[in-house]
Amino acid sequence: MKRTITLSNRIDELTRISSFLKKCADQWGIPAPVTLSLNLVMEEAFTNVVQYAYSDNHDHDIDLIIKKKDKELEITLIDDGKQYDPTDEKEPDINLSANDRPIGGLGIFLIKKTMDNVSYYRKDNKNHLVMVKKV
Amino acid sequence: MQIKDYTSVIIKGRIDSMTAGDFENKIMEILGGGVTKMLLDCSDLTYISSSGLRVFLVAQKKILATGGTLRICCLKPEIKDIFDISGFSIIFSIFSDVEKATSD
Repeated sequence: MKRTITLSNRIDELTRISSFLKKCADQWGIPAPVTLSLNLVMEEAFTNVVQYAYSDNHDHDIDLIIKKKDKELEITLIDDGKQYDPTDEKEPDINLSANDRPIGGLGIFLIKKTMDNVSYYRKDNKNHLVMVKKV
Repeated sequence: MQIKDYTSVIIKGRIDSMTAGDFENKIMEILGGGVTKMLLDCSDLTYISSSGLRVFLVAQKKILATGGTLRICCLKPEIKDIFDISGFSIIFSIFSDVEKATSD
């Protein structure tokens, strides 16, 4: 099973992401804690694209795809922004004290920790971020 | 709301990229008013992303810089998970209920 939503590069699209996910979760019987995790990774991935992928002021389409397979849920985010592989990001040091902890840098880390597999590829001048959660 | 020495702030709903800005402004406004002991009551916090975590960290840094105390209580298990994953559980004083959080 597969559902796709096309989003604009605006932060307020998070509202549509949540209701899109809720619909899928209701139809497919995804448990609430898993839905919450998926909402988190969708937000982190999408927000990252909106904030950093574009240097122009134009509207861009961003595709969000959710697939339910036998024992896993797969989320793919596709954007036409500049090439960027988030899986390359250095992980934050989570053992630092509050004073030493830098602000930011947690979004990608949360995606990696929440999902079972995260991969990236560039195809047709688009970034594809694929995030898999076993269920 | 004042509970013993603590100014208690009740956080409701979602703190995501859309709402984190308002949340930060509110917290900074309270801290700017000279509050040195703050309790963030998260009983009704249902969702948090990195944008929200960022505000918690900013608040903690600001309070520590003035020698104050920030405490967090009543995190739902799914929110506590996110604090654990992020390493935030070791940089905040987290309590299970309001009573314990304000006991000294």
